[in-house]
Parts: sequence; structure tokens; C-alpha cells
Amino acid sequence: MSRWPERLLRLLPPGFRERFGPEIVEDMREDWAAAGRRGRLAAFGYTVAATLDLIGTAVAERWKPSLRTTPRGGAGGVVRWLSNGWSQDLRHAVRALRRTPGFTLVAVGTLGLALGVNAGIFSIVDAVLLRPLPFPEPNRLVYIGGTAPGSDMRGEFQLAPEFLIQYQEQSKLLQDVAPYDDFTNTLRVGDRAERVRMAVSTPSLFPTLGVTPALGRLPTAEDEDRVAVLSHDLWMSWFGGDTGVIGKSYYIAGQPRTVIGVMGPEFDFPRETVTLWITAPLRPEEIVPGRFGMGFVARLRPGADMPALERELGALAQRLPERFGGSPGYADLIRRFHPVVRPLREQLVGPVAGPIWILFGSVAVVLLIACANVGNLFLVRAERRQRELAVRRAIGAGRLQLFRAQITEALVVAVLAGALALVLARVSVPLYLRLVPPDVPRIGDVEVRWATLLFTFAVSAITALLCGVLPALRASEPSLDRLRDGSRGSTARRHWARDGLVVAQTALALVLLTGSALLYRSFEKMRRVDPGYDTRDVFTFQIAPESDELKDAASYARFHLAFMERLRGLPGVRSVGIVDHVPLNEDLSDDTFIPAERAGDSRGGVMLGFTSVAGDYFQTMGIRLLAGRALTQEDQLTDLGHVVINRSAANLLWPGQDPIGRRLKRESVPVWETVVGVVEDVMQDNFRDPAPAAVYYPLVGQPPATWQVSSPAYVVKTARAETIAPEVRELVREVAPGAPMYRVYTMAGLAAESRLPLAFTMLTLGVISLLAVILGTVGQYGVLSYIVAERTREIGVRMALGAQARRVQAMVVGQGARVLAVGVALGLLAAAASTRALQSLLFGIGALDPITFVGVAGAMVVVGLLAAWVPARRASRVDPVEAIRGE
Amino acid sequence: MSDLEYHVLLALAAGPLHGYALKQRVEVESDGNLTPQPGSLYRVLARLMTSGFVAETDPDGPESPHPGLARRYYALTAAGRRALAGEALRLKGAAALAEKRLRAVRP
Repeated sequence: MSRWPERLLRLLPPGFRERFGPEIVEDMREDWAAAGRRGRLAAFGYTVAATLDLIGTAVAERWKPSLRTTPRGGAGGVVRWLSNGWSQDLRHAVRALRRTPGFTLVAVGTLGLALGVNAGIFSIVDAVLLRPLPFPEPNRLVYIGGTAPGSDMRGEFQLAPEFLIQYQEQSKLLQDVAPYDDFTNTLRVGDRAERVRMAVSTPSLFPTLGVTPALGRLPTAEDEDRVAVLSHDLWMSWFGGDTGVIGKSYYIAGQPRTVIGVMGPEFDFPRETVTLWITAPLRPEEIVPGRFGMGFVARLRPGADMPALERELGALAQRLPERFGGSPGYADLIRRFHPVVRPLREQLVGPVAGPIWILFGSVAVVLLIACANVGNLFLVRAERRQRELAVRRAIGAGRLQLFRAQITEALVVAVLAGALALVLARVSVPLYLRLVPPDVPRIGDVEVRWATLLFTFAVSAITALLCGVLPALRASEPSLDRLRDGSRGSTARRHWARDGLVVAQTALALVLLTGSALLYRSFEKMRRVDPGYDTRDVFTFQIAPESDELKDAASYARFHLAFMERLRGLPGVRSVGIVDHVPLNEDLSDDTFIPAERAGDSRGGVMLGFTSVAGDYFQTMGIRLLAGRALTQEDQLTDLGHVVINRSAANLLWPGQDPIGRRLKRESVPVWETVVGVVEDVMQDNFRDPAPAAVYYPLVGQPPATWQVSSPAYVVKTARAETIAPEVRELVREVAPGAPMYRVYTMAGLAAESRLPLAFTMLTLGVISLLAVILGTVGQYGVLSYIVAERTREIGVRMALGAQARRVQAMVVGQGARVLAVGVALGLLAAAASTRALQSLLFGIGALDPITFVGVAGAMVVVGLLAAWVPARRASRVDPVEAIRGE
Repeated sequence: MSDLEYHVLLALAAGPLHGYALKQRVEVESDGNLTPQPGSLYRVLARLMTSGFVAETDPDGPESPHPGLARRYYALTAAGRRALAGEALRLKGAAALAEKRLRAVRP
């Protein structure tokens, strides 16, 4: 006999070979000898059979080793259990999943979708809310503002220059502090003149933030207001990255400034759209106290904390009036002043943090629903495999082994889903970002990066546990009884788990649906708000003409009046007006106004907004005149001291009296104005905040001498609001060559933009909740379908015994309805507890709006009953003969 | 439990055996229906050992049919005995049921 048995042994895995090899060889020789005694053919037959058997054994043993190399039990058993044989589990799981491609596809798809929206929203959370600001030691950076409860300044406000000087000189807890503000102004390089976003600060801004330029140097106190630092973007797009730009002088924000430095690409303080930074020196001797409106950024000394800083800044502020003087109103305000200190990041991303966290929470809920769904699928699958599992248990598989095998399956599904999710996120996040309102801070930094990767796989692992544990527990408990009777077992005990999952799905989907319904109702209400003006058919833009002839109020007046005439001449234009602050685009200026009747009273002033108008502004905007008259051409050209006020201003200044002919003045300006008309209030900032009380000045006279404000906004009433822009641009080129035309909008467009944050959150949450409802309904449908399939025989018997199709349908629907009712009830409770998170986004309805709650619950019941009715119909069509025979 | 597993347990129920003797006894006790080849036999044996139904044991006496090779002996454990009993009960039940059904069909 040759040595073939030894050679064949090499196929076996080493462990198995070492243990049984000698015995196998010995047995084979024995057998071969016995076969040889019966003839050559028998010996050959035996050789073939034994060889094939050994090859089969080798393959089987490598796929699923039967030999445990280490003995069971003893110290470290758990560690061994965790680390041993995972590759076997994995192989087994992959094989099991491949045997049921339908199940695998549905499970991976469901989880992948849910994980995908989570990965996508997480990439936004990561970039906007979690990643530290790109400055050294960002935790020491704070924003400083203030409140003064009981004064004219409502809410939180920004501070004034005298605070900066006081804090810079005397604070012991601040290492450095700088003001910042950003605005739009003209940048002129050669022939190219555009309105760009720029920031103004003092030279201390850069050391406060701890940044250095990529090129050139940073401003110092000696530079005063003659220098500018460019952003990396501007440097690349306007100057092609030419280092020769340093030292050159350009016309920036009304005067020549020298470029001294270029920042790195990551620097975008205080917002992404800022293209350059200029400095404005603060001279203590020139300060008029009380000019509020400067944001402060500061760096704490190491070890200083924010409460201590608040106390220190509050105390320092109290000494401001004695140092800088100011009106009695100012002194009163300072007495009530409380500094507000918060981390800089919170200040920069604060307004969007709420909605983003809400979306993040919502997608987490979707993931929970998907987990419930897939968990249910696993449960059903485990029950279908009861017999197989019982056999495995009977031949010695331990509970833990079966448990681990099931969990491994869930893990494989979750990892596949995680990979799918990352692909989905990568594809969809860039598309989604196009819909995000552009003023969300740091939104440009959003990308699917390693943090998202880590997050997705961590969540996948948790997901695997969530949807794997229950079925795995169930799968590991079958007893040998299952083998004996061969039945599908009793159903009652197994249902609570599945029903529980359906209840959870229904409840969670209901919570999300309620949230998005509340947002939808808010949006509808906001659309129907009457802002006091008509946004239809109004075109608006600004121009900033600059020429040698334009040097005083009169020359600007002539230019704008002439230009308005030209605009009126365009075909289809019904009326034209000018305003200094277009609603929904700019806030009004604020000041304290005093009516003549309370002139002597130092506390008789009222805080009012003010702006200037010319032409047919009120008519163009559709703002109703309530009393008196609008400002005329005569008011515009000669300084008659006439003003128009709105309804709220009239009520504040002269409650219950006729304001026409009465006089008022700004506290800081020694000139009296006479009220000639009253107009309806208009919502200035958005459709949410109440309309401010306001005074409308003509464009000439005292103050604010707006003709000198070089760039008022034009409003044009025309049915061609959407298409007139090129003609206007042509006209501007003709009348004022080189004047940038900017802030070109239709009022309808501005209105839509103002509703964008709500619309955006509403749409996103709407899609998410739709996903939740679909997943929830599919889950419910799946469970009922399974139950019907499981009870086919019972239903067949009932029908054979005379039960009507109707009764059978009612039975199945009833089963669905009970679960549904519990889910809806729990969901309503959960929604009531959680919709308060949406409060700041809601408009015109409460977080507990009963109509919404009832409507959503109703919709959920209808959809749920529908999902129950389909399997019910199938049940009622069971053919009794087939059903009984099928068993 | 597969037929081969059942018969291996059954064979060992009579007392410890070495591999080749085990194979021969399985062949006899299954009326020649099972003729396990060495690979399959030892794999089943390994599985049963891993499950704790079979354990290696010292031979009872010095009897050694093949001097020169130290044969290993295998014996049924208590768990193996219980599993065999359970399976036997099941087979008995199944057989009884089959007989009953077959009787019922014939008048």
C-alpha cells in the first residue's frame, strides 16, 4: 500500500490532524487490507470512497471546526468564549444570511437607510456643533454682551466702545478683548468694483483669537484705519494668489487702504462670507457713550472662569458714567446693566444649535424604528428556525453559542448597513447642503469624514445589539421538546416581544409626525401673516454711486431723484420709492425719541426704530396710510422737519390722542420734527417678531441726512419684478458707471428667504417623519402578515366550521388595532412631552396644539388599520381545505 | 441528531471502544446501513467530544489488538447517556406513532 492516507491527511486542519491523524491512517490501512481480501476492485472502491470522505471531512472541518482545541470551563472562560471561534460564527452567519437573500436585503436596506440619515445629520452636527473652533485653546474664547432689565434696551444687546476701553485697560481676568462687526461695502480693484462682506475690528482681534497670517503681517495700533487683511478666498479669486498684493493700496469701504497680510484658508471670523478685515482705531477722547452695537470677543486668562468674569465686568461697567459721562438715560441703563458672557462657539452657532439637535434626535428615532423593524424580522426568522436551532442545541451547542451565532448575524447585517449608510451619506450630504440656509455658521466645513465614519460604525454596533439581542435570546432558548412534537409551538408568550416592538414603532413615528405637523401648521400660518406690506410684484436693489460730483446731501438728492424718474420710465413700472432699510433685509436704526409734551422729563423718552424714505415708498410697498398724509416731494427737497410715524409709535408717544401735528425729537439731536402722517405697522425683521414702532424721516434735513448715506435701497412696483433686473442694471450702467448694484431681490424672494429656516426644518423633519411612518407601517404590516401566515390553519378550521370572511377579517384587524391603540396612546404622551423642544420654531400655535395632535393620531390610526386590513383580507380568503391539508 | 451520531453513542453505551472497534460496532448495530469512513467517523467523534457527550478514557484492561500503536479509547459521558436516552425516547415515540398510523390506515 502506498502512502496516500498520509498525504491526504495534510488536507485536514492541523489541530484535527494531530489529534486523529494516526488513528485515521491506522483505520484506513485496516479497512484497505480487509477490502483487498475481497478483490482488487473492492480495494479500489474503498480507496475512492475513503479519499472522497477525507476530502469532505477536511472541507467541513475547515468551514466549521468540530473540535474544541481548549477544554471547556475554567478561568478565563468568558474571554475565551468571546475570542474563540468568531471566524466560525462569522462564516456561519454569512452562510445563513446568503441562504435568505430577501431577508438580508430588507434588513440591510432598512438599517442602511436609517443609518444613512443618521450619518448625514451627524456630519452636520460634527462640523457645526462639535468640532472646536479653529483657534488655539478655543475654550478660553468668550463672547461678551449685556442685558439691562427694566431699561429701554429690550433683551440682550451688544456693547459700546467705552466698554471695550474699560475692559481692555482694567480687567484682570481677560487676556485680550476685541470688538467685531461685519457689513457689506465696496471693494474696488482697478475697474472691478463689487460689494463684498467685510469685518471691522481693532488690531487686538488677531491676538485675541490667537491667529497668524499666512502671508505678510497683522495690523498694529499705528496702522489706524489705513490697512486691510485679505481672506484666503479673496486673495485667490481676485488676485490669483499673487504675493505681490502685499503693500498695494486699494479703495476699500470708502477710502484707500493698504493690503498688509493674507489669512490662511481656515480663518473665517466672524462668519464664512467675510472676505477682508479692516481696522478702525478707538480713541478714548472721541467716545460718545451709549453707542451700543459692538460684539466683543475675548480671551480669558488661563484659569479664569466665566462667572468670575461676569462679576468683574459688571463691576467695571458701573464706573463707566463717571469716566465717559453720558445722558441720565445712559446712567440709568448702566445701573441696570448685567454683562452676558458665553463661550464664543455658543455665540456663533447658538441660533442653529436647537434645530440641528432636533433633527439629530429625529433621525435617531428613525433608527430606533428601523431597529424595531429589523429586530422583528430577526424574531420571525428565529421562530422559523426553531427546529434547526433545537437540533443544534440537542447535539451540544450551548445557549451562549446559539446566542452568539444570532448576534453575529445581526452584526454582519449592521456592518453591511453601516457601509451602505456611508455611501448614502457621501452621495446625499452635498446635495442636502444646497438646501440648507446659507447663513448657518460653519456649514461649509461639513463633510463626511473620519468622525462620521467612527460614529456610523459605533452606532451600527449598537444597532446590531438593539435588533439582535431579543431574537438571540429567543433563539437560544429552544428546548428539545421542539424536536419531539414538530409543531410551531404556542404563540401567546412569543407575541409580547413582537407586539412591543410594533407599539414602540407606532409611538415613535407618531412623535415625529406630530413634530413635523406642528411645523407645517406653523409654516402655513406664517405664510398667511399680514406683515403690513404687500410682497407681490416688488423688485428691490441697492446701488452705491461714487463720483466727484457726489459730495454733499444736495448732490446725492439730485442723483437719486433723477434716477427714480428714470426707473419710473421703464415699461411696466407702476411706482418707485426709496428706503434706507428694506423690510426683511435690514433692521431699523434705534434711538430714544422724546415727545414735545415730555421734553423736560429725563425719563420721558421712548425707544423707537427709524429710517428714511423718499418717492412713493408707502404706495409701492402697499403700506396703508391711517391718518394725515405721506411725505411729499416738497418734504424731500426742503428741510421742513416733517415725519411720518407708524401706529405703534403713535400709541407709545401719544396714547389715545391724535398724533398729527404733534412734535418729537431724537434725544441726541437738538431738532424738533412734526408728525404729518400715520401709517400701518410693518414687520421689519421677519414674520415672527412683532412690528417695531418706527419713525419715517424724509431723506433731507436733520437727521439722519440720509442723502449722504450713499446707498439707499430702491423699491419698484412692477408686474415684471422677476425679470426687470437686467433692464435696471443697464440703466445703472448708463447713469452711474462703476456703481455696484447689489442686494438685488424681489420682496417675494425675501419673504421666502425669511421663512427658510422654518421651511428647511419643516421639510427635513417632514421627510424624516415620513420615513418613520413608512418603516413603522411596514413593520406592523409584516408582523400581522406573519401572524396570519402562522395561523392559516387555525383560520382554515374556523372557516370550515362556518366562520364568515367578515368575522375573520375583523379578528385580524382587531388584533392589529389593539397594538395600534396602545402605540398611538403612548405616542401621544411622548409627543406631548417632547414637542416643547420645537417651541422656538413654532409660529401661531402651541406645542400642544390639540387639532394637530388629534389629526396626527387620526392619520396614524387610518394608516395602521390599512396596514392591518391587507393581511386581514388575505386571511379571509384562506381556502379551508388547502389550509388544513397544508399542515 | 444524525443517525451516525446516534449509533456512535449507542455503540459506546456498551462500554469504551477504540476508533476501529467503534466503526465495526456501528456497522453491525445499524445492520450495515452505516459504514462510516474514517474521516466522517472521527469528525463526528470530535463533535460529540466537543459537546461533552463522549470523552477519551483509559482502556479497562491490557487487551490491545494492535501492539505497537497506542489505541485511544472513547467512552460515553453522563450527558451523552442522557442525550442518547432522549433521542431513543423520541425514536420510540416516532416509531409508535408510525405503527399506530399504519394500523389506522389498514382496515
